[in-house]
Amino acid sequence: MAEDLVLDTAIRDWVLIPLSVVMVLIGVLRYFVSKLMRSSPVPDAKVVREGQIVLRARNLRSAANFIPHKSFRSRRVYYGNEENGLLYVPKGQAQNAQAQMFSDPNMAMDMMKKNLSMIIPQTLTFAWVNFFFSGFVAAKIPFPLTQRFRSMLQNGIDLSTVDVSYVSSRSWYFLNLFGLRGLFSLILGEENAMDDTQRMMQMSGFGMDPTKGLSAEKDNLDIVQHEWILPKFEHRAEAVLRKIVS
Amino acid sequence: MVSIAEEAELNRLETQVDNGGGGAWEYLCLVRKLKVRRSHKVLNYGLSILNDSRKRSGLGQEEWTLYEQVTIAALDCQAIDVAKDCIKVLQKKFPQSKRVGRLEAMLLEAKGLWAEAEKAYASLLEENPCDQIVHKRRVALAKAQGNIAGAIEWLNKYLETFMADHDAWRELAELYISLQMYKQAVFCYEELILSQPTVPLFHLAYADVLYTLGGLENLQTAKKYYASTIDLTGGKNTKALFGICLCTSAISQLTRGRSKEDKEGPELQSLAATALEKDYKQRAPQKLSLLSSVLKGLKVSP
Repeated sequence: MAEDLVLDTAIRDWVLIPLSVVMVLIGVLRYFVSKLMRSSPVPDAKVVREGQIVLRARNLRSAANFIPHKSFRSRRVYYGNEENGLLYVPKGQAQNAQAQMFSDPNMAMDMMKKNLSMIIPQTLTFAWVNFFFSGFVAAKIPFPLTQRFRSMLQNGIDLSTVDVSYVSSRSWYFLNLFGLRGLFSLILGEENAMDDTQRMMQMSGFGMDPTKGLSAEKDNLDIVQHEWILPKFEHRAEAVLRKIVS
Repeated sequence: MVSIAEEAELNRLETQVDNGGGGAWEYLCLVRKLKVRRSHKVLNYGLSILNDSRKRSGLGQEEWTLYEQVTIAALDCQAIDVAKDCIKVLQKKFPQSKRVGRLEAMLLEAKGLWAEAEKAYASLLEENPCDQIVHKRRVALAKAQGNIAGAIEWLNKYLETFMADHDAWRELAELYISLQMYKQAVFCYEELILSQPTVPLFHLAYADVLYTLGGLENLQTAKKYYASTIDLTGGKNTKALFGICLCTSAISQLTRGRSKEDKEGPELQSLAATALEKDYKQRAPQKLSLLSSVLKGLKVSP
């Protein structure tokens, strides 16, 4: 029976092409709206400072053997002492990430904006597609597929007898929704590659606690064995000079 | 820092542009990327691009970056009028931009209106306390007025937040040395060695300061750092070779009469002296007598 299905050309002209065009236009629109709403993030001085402290402490740890013992010891105390050391985090102050997120309304606001620009257009288009184009076949792909693809390609049609290579209009919407990313990065430039996976990463990045980095670095610094390597350099310099002189 | 290959590329482009061979835009890009200071050339070639409307529109968005670059170069060359024109164009394009505000403050600075410039920088910092360039301009401002202590103060304030910025540490070390505050300079050079342990320049400067401080322990440490400089440069650094000789003779003067003697010392010194003599023979034979009299004065026999 699958051979018998003939698709009206009006379906192509009034469903398939408009749907794709609308999806592309909405994507472009969303890009510009989110660009408008995006507030440039002003780095917090405290966060910057913590990052720099960690960097400097890491330098100290990796190159410790290049400075005299006295200098190293004084630096270790400077970083790690329990009164005002740079890396020392008082116990009560280590606020958890969740609390920090709520204490900063800007952060929550930013997240909401991002989510809004994502969710609202999606719900609207989905409702629109559902209302106008639900329940009929919109396209046929030129190769056969197995039954497992039925739920992907024939969403909204509950007929088990239709061949799987026919695509319902709602499925066409979903295919466009997820498949147009490459096209967007072509029209809007690479920076638009701000897709869902990245968004997820960002959200999990939120929860990272900067103070954790500090105390981890402190522990690392505490176990460093200092051994000044400069005395060895004297021998090496001798060898170098001997080579030159001879 | 600019690597040798990059500098060669830069010089090649420069001669090409000087001789009218084109490639001015590439040259300007490279100057900007390497952050080298060749203001006269940048002003000349940048202006020639900006005055040619066809070339200018060919740059697209980069046009504004070029405006900024030319402005800074013009300020450096005291071409105040050019800078003013550029800033005017930029301001028209980007009203209320902080980056343009920075240029305006620099214009005040170039005119020598210190108090106004200071005020402008302060207000810029209030809006964005993490602007590294403005922090550094403020240090430069104090230095330009001859207020070294003030510059040190600003620089310390900057380093309190941006403590991994090794260029700032280097500047601080040099400022301290100019005020003869060697102990503070020692700390800065240690920071530098920590951040870039294989750069011989920092080892050398550290050793110099330690030698200047004097005292047996410092001299011995200085000698070790001269030795590491020799190792890192492959014995090509004349200053380090002299440093070894000076340190060893200073140490032997301090430890005279004591039985305990640095065993490695004399050999390294005589080797350094021989290397020096060989170097002078090769490159400056007429100054060889001068060298041997100096070495004799240090009681060093090659």
